[in-house]
Amino acid sequence: MAVEERDGHSGYLTTGHEWNGIKELNTPVPRLVYLTLAVTALFAVGYWILMPAFPLGSTFTKGLLGADDRTAVTAAVKQAQTDRARWTDLIAAKSYDDIQGDPRLMAQVRATGAVLFGDNCAACHQRDARGGNGFPNLTTQSWLWGGTPEAIAETIRVGVNAAHPNTRVSQMPAFGRDGVLKRDEMENVVAYVMSLSAPPAGKVSADRIAAGKAVFTANCAACHGPEGRGNLELGAPNLTDSHWIYGSDATALYAGVWGGLQNQMPSWEGRLSALDRKILVLYILDRRGP
Amino acid sequence: MVAQLTKSERQVALVILLALTIVGLIFAGAGKDDPIGVHGFLIMACAIAAIFAVISASAEPEPSPERLDTYYDDPSKIGIVLAMAWAAVGMLVGFWVALLLAFPDLTFDAGWASFGRLRPVHTSGVIFGFGGNALIATSFYVMQRTSRARLPDQLSPLFVLFGYNLFCLLAATGYLMGITQSKEYAEPEWYADIWLVIVWVTYLVLYLRTLARRQEPHIYVANWYYLAFVLVVAMLHIVNNLAVPVGLGSAKSYSLFSGVQDAMTQWWYGHNAVAFFLTAGFLGMMYYYLPKRAGRPLFSYRMSIISFWGITFLYMWAGSHHLHYTALPQWVQTLGMTFSVMLLVPSWSAAANALLTLNGAWHKVRDDATLRFMMVAAVFYGLTTFEGSFLAIRPVNALSHYTDWTVGHVHAGALGWVAMITFGAIYASVPWLWKRDAMYSARLVEVHFWFAVTGTIIYVISMWNSGIIQGLMWRTYTPEGTLAYSFVDSLIEMHPYYIARAIGGLFFLIGTLVGCYNIWMTVRGEALPAATEPAGDIPAPAIAARQPAE
Amino acid sequence: MFGLHYKLERKSIGLALAIIGIGSIGGLVEIAPLFTIDQTVEDAPGMRVYTPLELAGRNIYVREGCYACHSQMIRTLRDEVERYGPYSLAVESKYDHPMLWGSKRTGPDLARIGGKYSDQWHVAHFVNPREIVPPSVMPSYARLLRNPLRTDDLGRHLRAMRAVGVPYTDDMIANATADAIGQATPGGEAADGVSKRYGEATNVRVFDGLPGELTEMDALVAYLQIVGRLTDAAYKTAGK
Ligand code: HEC
Ligand code: HEC
Ligand code: HEC
Ligand code: HEM
Ligand code: HEM
Ligand SMILES: [Ca+2]
Ligand SMILES: [Ca+2]
Ligand SMILES: [Cu+2]
Repeated sequence: MAVEERDGHSGYLTTGHEWNGIKELNTPVPRLVYLTLAVTALFAVGYWILMPAFPLGSTFTKGLLGADDRTAVTAAVKQAQTDRARWTDLIAAKSYDDIQGDPRLMAQVRATGAVLFGDNCAACHQRDARGGNGFPNLTTQSWLWGGTPEAIAETIRVGVNAAHPNTRVSQMPAFGRDGVLKRDEMENVVAYVMSLSAPPAGKVSADRIAAGKAVFTANCAACHGPEGRGNLELGAPNLTDSHWIYGSDATALYAGVWGGLQNQMPSWEGRLSALDRKILVLYILDRRGP
Repeated sequence: MVAQLTKSERQVALVILLALTIVGLIFAGAGKDDPIGVHGFLIMACAIAAIFAVISASAEPEPSPERLDTYYDDPSKIGIVLAMAWAAVGMLVGFWVALLLAFPDLTFDAGWASFGRLRPVHTSGVIFGFGGNALIATSFYVMQRTSRARLPDQLSPLFVLFGYNLFCLLAATGYLMGITQSKEYAEPEWYADIWLVIVWVTYLVLYLRTLARRQEPHIYVANWYYLAFVLVVAMLHIVNNLAVPVGLGSAKSYSLFSGVQDAMTQWWYGHNAVAFFLTAGFLGMMYYYLPKRAGRPLFSYRMSIISFWGITFLYMWAGSHHLHYTALPQWVQTLGMTFSVMLLVPSWSAAANALLTLNGAWHKVRDDATLRFMMVAAVFYGLTTFEGSFLAIRPVNALSHYTDWTVGHVHAGALGWVAMITFGAIYASVPWLWKRDAMYSARLVEVHFWFAVTGTIIYVISMWNSGIIQGLMWRTYTPEGTLAYSFVDSLIEMHPYYIARAIGGLFFLIGTLVGCYNIWMTVRGEALPAATEPAGDIPAPAIAARQPAE
Repeated sequence: MFGLHYKLERKSIGLALAIIGIGSIGGLVEIAPLFTIDQTVEDAPGMRVYTPLELAGRNIYVREGCYACHSQMIRTLRDEVERYGPYSLAVESKYDHPMLWGSKRTGPDLARIGGKYSDQWHVAHFVNPREIVPPSVMPSYARLLRNPLRTDDLGRHLRAMRAVGVPYTDDMIANATADAIGQATPGGEAADGVSKRYGEATNVRVFDGLPGELTEMDALVAYLQIVGRLTDAAYKTAGK
């Protein structure tokens, strides 16, 4: 073994070994290392005594504080509910009208509703609640199932074509796929439906619209009403306004008539509390435009 | 390369390759309706190509006995080249993946090009491809020199190296085809896992055999770390990958454990993959190259002992800090947190030991970008472990977990520590290995250094920002006591940071490519005349033959 | 201590054994008791297993690497419970080989996604996430709608799952392929078998909106609709 030597720069002895030119100093471990080791170990031991820490066969040490994440979070959520009660109780108790007339409560509805809506509803109805791609715009006066607070609350509670036992059920038949109507009949009725909300574009003949009207009366009026103003009982939309769920062009309308429509709105009863749902109703009504 | 093998080693090589061909054939046949069939063909193709290489070299004479007077460095050279190739690929995919989070449509309508499949190509590519090859290459280099003994044979190092790269190839191509266990950092499926066990056991045996032949009475600290890396990774890998395959013709398997036990095993593995792959292995690298390059004795032998055993003992308890507040029983979380906090002490001791070694050589750090890579790596090592211990504290983790903060921590470690120490070690090794005077261009090393540092800083700072913003947005409450932001609100806020991260990544990638070029040009350059080769770079028996015993 | 080490570092096998010994302790203390402490996994009577179609969907989730962006683990923190629903229980992933708790939330947690949205929504979202959620960074999975689902080997999958401890019956294994088809073919004879073997509450629907075709989309949506709903234990615990 080589002899220990002293490093000129630091003044420490080497261990006397050399590996491919590398030597080591035998510098003592700085105090600070032991000190921090002791401090962190002390912290650890203290933590182990206070908290659940070590396994013992079929159980574990529970810790002096008896802390448990699950009870803690349940308590925190409860506490938060209690803290919110000063305004949530008012929302729960008051009528829709009263709340809408109370700017302070409405400010709270807006703050809360935006996030509830963002995390649960925006996936379908978009962050601005304007829908699209087959999902209704919730900011219009045009409602499928009614625009009263109670009707909206019910839609949210049970959903449409959802898994809830009392779900609202709606279906527009597939006139084309099921062979009820022929191609030209469907084209005519589409032309007629388009004429209900907008003056017919130049090319479309009056004959065609008249023919379409006949088809409509025979096949569609049952749901959409004789004038096409819709039916809130069946969730059949009003076809005379300018709001469209699936698009306003002839192709989109034809596709609906041909293949039928049966979209789904989930039921939120099992997922959101009655309070949250009430806030959502108020939030939607608040966003409603002309 | 084959010329270095003795006749009998060539024969053994052929037998192994033949066996591999048959395995490939079996997978190709049994799995013809399954992605495993593609891997069967891939295995066969690799094995047959290697068979050709061996056979076509069979005319070459056996290596001369004089080879025993030198270290066996072919595997290290190949390993370094492969490491740089994987670095380029892995970081390129990292850059792509970073772009995808900023511009999600920047891809093709093909399964292999979607984020979920590319991300593990990045993580495995850089950790296993780049990191693993660098570790294997440098470990061969270091263990021979610190033992003053040549590797015991010529075949097993090549088997380890190429076998390991076959594993990496199966992993990366597998992800692209959707072959994955979805176990982070252990994604490869059962057959690749089994193959890695074979390769890894060979590696371990090789390491122990070399140590057994050593001419130094003491084992150098670098080898403690390399040994811990090889041993513990074997242990972790085997336990975490226990699974029941659906069949021989199916790539799919179901892991033996489920739910909470699976989660704990996975993060015991995942965390210690960090500890023993990304930390212990690279500490081994640092403990050799840093004092060597600085020309200074290691600051403290005693501190090495404290950090080594501290790291080996404490790290293994810390995995549960990946599962704070989850369905994992709280007592395990307590252990994970407390051990992570204690872990800071040996970690910082290791970093401090390296930095204090530089006392007396700071002027070299200033002038030599290679040594500066190593110095900055040690600093980032200290920074990352401090951050890690902090993140492991439960209330902090409540905020950071699931967010980009973790990604920032990862890359402080991965870019700042793992990649930088590797680049330092590679820049030091390449001239030594290829018997060159120096790297082709010291300026380009300098350029690489600054690209790497800038890239790392941009990357890490943008992820700290985005992570903390994300974490805070998720838990911010309005004065009314309700959540203030929806999830998508937080997603929108991430966009600028994702762009910044991609820019940081691009810097780092450019640096890496500069490094590849520089290494390539060095290798192509002219070798030193034998007379001026670095002294002392020969195994002990050779020295003994030339000089009379002391 | 340093003197002892001075001896140890001269013996490679000794050093190796010491590393193994010292390194094994943490794992043993933390992992082994998870199998012996009963409290670790809650009781959930009535919890059902994944149907073959759901299992196939889960395998697609694994294959596509959804865990890279989505967690399935709601932590015991107030904001997570208020945003996503009751915190996750260990029992909920009892049949998850491997678990998919995840480590990154680039997208939202999915532990309570089952039943949250409609099948059509999922299909539309997978086909083009940004059409449905404009700021989304999720990749498109439109090709799942084009890929027919492989069902012929599902029996073997169930058998492998049974080998790792999931209580699939012989009947379930024998009918795996038929049940996978049946679950996405309401009204058919095969559909009855699904309800019989996996319970009346099992979703039997055309998940991908393409009747008569069994695509990978069917499987993935069927899986997502059952995530968090194999048992209602989490809701019961939360109610307490
Ligand atoms: C999976 C998609 C989806 C989600 C999520 C969703 N909805 Fe809907 N919603 C629909 C569809 C589809 C309709 C139209 C149903 C129909 O055709 O009758 C609808 C209709 C409605 C209506 C009735 C509109 C009318 O004109 O009568 C209201 C109100 C409504 N949604 C509110 C909400 C609220 C509040 C939420 C969140 C708690 C929500 N929706 C979440 C899909 C969804
Ligand atoms: C059985 C009742 C029923 C009948 C009959 C019916 N509809 Fe409908 N229709 C509906 C329902 C319900 C909806 C809403 C579907 C939805 O929102 O998913 C609808 C939606 C539509 C829409 C889409 C409106 C929009 O906003 O995008 C059009 C257009 C339409 N119907 C036209 C017709 C025409 C034309 C006929 C006759 C050929 C017809 N409907 C017959 C029930 C019916
Ligand atoms: C690049 C990251 C990424 C990948 C990979 C990814 N997602 Fe997403 N996912 C998101 C983001 C971001 C959102 C939130 C925006 C949105 O709804 O699109 C999301 C939303 C979702 C949602 C809606 C969650 C909710 O509660 O609103 C579901 C379901 C979903 N993803 C399923 C999947 C599945 C299944 C896969 C794999 C096949 C997958 N995701 C892959 C990023 C990703
Ligand atoms: C060019 C440089 C790099 C870029 C642009 C890059 C980019 C990325 C991106 C975008 C992710 C995904 C993050 C997410 O899902 O949100 C990621 C993950 C990851 N990268 Fe990198 N990376 C780079 C280099 C490296 C290197 C050199 C390593 C390791 C040595 C590394 C290790 C990892 C790991 C371990 C993860 C997973 C992190 C986690 O799950 O928390 N990366 N990287
Ligand atoms: C004292 C040392 C360290 C401690 C205590 C530590 C602790 C942690 C913690 C608490 C997390 C976050 C877990 C989560 O919330 O999901 C984490 C993640 C991670 N750390 Fe460290 N860390 C340390 C050092 C390092 C080093 C040196 C690296 C080197 C690259 C590293 C790489 C990683 C990686 C890759 C992850 C991501 C794991 C994932 O995919 O989720 N860590 N670490
Ligand atoms: Ca694996
Ligand atoms: Ca991760
Ligand atoms: Cu960790």
